[in-house]
Amino acid sequence: MQDFLINWLANVPGTAAPYAFAALGLIISERSGVLNLTAEGLMLVGAVAGVGTCLTIGNHPLVALVVAMLAASIVSLLFASLVVILRVNQVIAGLSVVFFCQGLTGLIGTLANWQNHPIAGLNKIAIWPLSDIPVIGRILFVQDPIVYLAIPIFFAVSIFLRGSMLGLKLRAVGENPAAADAAGLSVSLYRIGAIVVGSSLLGLAGGYISVVSVKLWITGMVGGRGWIAVALVVFARWAPWPALAGALLFGCIEGVVPRIAAAGIRAPQYLVLMTPYLATLAVMIWVGARNRGHQGEPGALGQPHVREERR
Amino acid sequence: MHDVAMISLESQPAPPPKRPPRRGLGRFTLDIRQTISPWKQAGILGGSLAIGLAISVVILDLAGIAPLDLAKELAGVFNANSLRSVLVRAAPLILVGLGAGLAFRIGFWNLGLEGQMVFGGIFATAVSIYNIGPESTRIVVMGIAASAGGILWVLLAYWMKVRFRVNEIISTLLMNYIASYFLLHLLYGAWQDSKTAFPQSSQYRPFERLSDIGSGVNSALLVALAVAAVAAWAVHLSRAGFYMRFISANANMAKVVGVPVRTISLVVIAASGAAAGLAGFVNVTSQEGRLTQSFFDGYVFSGILIAFLSRNDPIVVVIVGFLLAVLFVTGQTLQVFYQIPFTMVQLVEAIIVIAVASSEFLIRHRVRWTR
Repeated sequence: MQDFLINWLANVPGTAAPYAFAALGLIISERSGVLNLTAEGLMLVGAVAGVGTCLTIGNHPLVALVVAMLAASIVSLLFASLVVILRVNQVIAGLSVVFFCQGLTGLIGTLANWQNHPIAGLNKIAIWPLSDIPVIGRILFVQDPIVYLAIPIFFAVSIFLRGSMLGLKLRAVGENPAAADAAGLSVSLYRIGAIVVGSSLLGLAGGYISVVSVKLWITGMVGGRGWIAVALVVFARWAPWPALAGALLFGCIEGVVPRIAAAGIRAPQYLVLMTPYLATLAVMIWVGARNRGHQGEPGALGQPHVREERR
Repeated sequence: MHDVAMISLESQPAPPPKRPPRRGLGRFTLDIRQTISPWKQAGILGGSLAIGLAISVVILDLAGIAPLDLAKELAGVFNANSLRSVLVRAAPLILVGLGAGLAFRIGFWNLGLEGQMVFGGIFATAVSIYNIGPESTRIVVMGIAASAGGILWVLLAYWMKVRFRVNEIISTLLMNYIASYFLLHLLYGAWQDSKTAFPQSSQYRPFERLSDIGSGVNSALLVALAVAAVAAWAVHLSRAGFYMRFISANANMAKVVGVPVRTISLVVIAASGAAAGLAGFVNVTSQEGRLTQSFFDGYVFSGILIAFLSRNDPIVVVIVGFLLAVLFVTGQTLQVFYQIPFTMVQLVEAIIVIAVASSEFLIRHRVRWTR
């Protein structure tokens, strides 16, 4: 039993990291008032870009992750121009970008022959001597560098949103774009910036899945984690630290799935694979049942801003 | 020089206000169009569609299909054989388009069309496996069961929305994954074909399949057209159609003046799920002949695309459904002969939606360049 727990918990940071990065990226762009449903697609872009980089230039996982972030940011410019400049319905635009990315990554992965080619990826490092502490040593101090990087990133974004002038302006754009516009802020620029920066984190999340966790590209490998991240943002009420807690919760749930089979517990495999999605629904119901559905939601979420249409 | 300045100061009491200095390239301003001529509207729409299709052709060219070959394949769709498969494909596409369009009409984002198709297929197959009803009416019972499966799956999401305010965009999408894992659970377990040991149900018996109705046209198409006719009546002619427009315009106002908002929403959303369930039913009973792992792949976004392009109008849904079926059949050909993955269809679909959605901006606004 102890082995089971340690193996499980040692996996959790790795399974939680994609959720954490993706949710954080979504929080940045949604705080500017843009309902961002693109997570699933941009994570796929990051995933294919990461593996593609490793297969092309050799195994440089950190370079691959940077490329993954850049690739997702570049594709997010499409979404940004749709919703910010052309004021397309944000749900339609988000869904279109997801399916655009699904098609594109499937096509690129197959044509470039990146499918099912394993890469060495990024390995875990042991922080000696902390890693020799019994039990928690393996859980906390034998992880890959990106997991450790998550902590400063969360601090940075949290401070940026709550404590910096730029973050205040970003939130103002998301709460009341008309007022922000009147105060001289460029709503469009803030929103485009938030989408692009947030999407780089979505790319990192996708790249993490393919380069660090699975070390392989498979078409559609993100498998709904992007949608779960969207739900996670609602659960976290658009705040970074609760999102990290939620990511750890989903990391625990996702991490237990392969452990069940490995521990020799006989359970219907495909029903077990449903758990992350069922858990997400359960969490959403819990959020709703607390009767605070809209707390923390940016005031202008999902509404395009056209100065000439000011009401 | 000094003199001139003095004189001008005295003779001209107030200099006219200076124009602000010209800045760089100027900027865009947007005007809201009050009216637009139908020709201009059609021109903008057609222009953006053309741009979208051109981008798709360029991408396919990069993927290794020369535009000429593509034209040949597209033209090849219109021989008798391929046309038949277009008609077969059109049936489920029209049905998911109707399902999406009905729900979008009252502002319910039913993105769970695939999950509802899965449950439609599962319920229909259950009727076949457990031999429910006499053989003569078996196919009808399967259809009804499939609708029930779709309704069940969509109403779960609606219940979560009404009771717990769970956003249906997220819940319906997640329920697609849950449904597909449940399908795999059945296909790798109790319902696995004992003859082939493949993860699929055993073949339906002949009376459990939608038959051809002459010249290769499958009765699946009749099912789809019948549902489209009912939907068109409901949307355009019935009182419910008027209520639906009222609800989507202003749900609170509708409630205040006595429109039965809850009932109408419930019925429309159930109808949306039923249409998706039927799409699963016609797919398994006309094309596959058995329940397979992936008979529902790619239908969510197809439904969204059809509903979006047809502006949720059931009559236009039929036309767009046929056009999309052409794209699907072409996609299959390209998959077989050029090893282009079928996700290409999704890519082209997404580009078309993006192009048309962008055109709406130009239809609604006049963009001016001011300096």
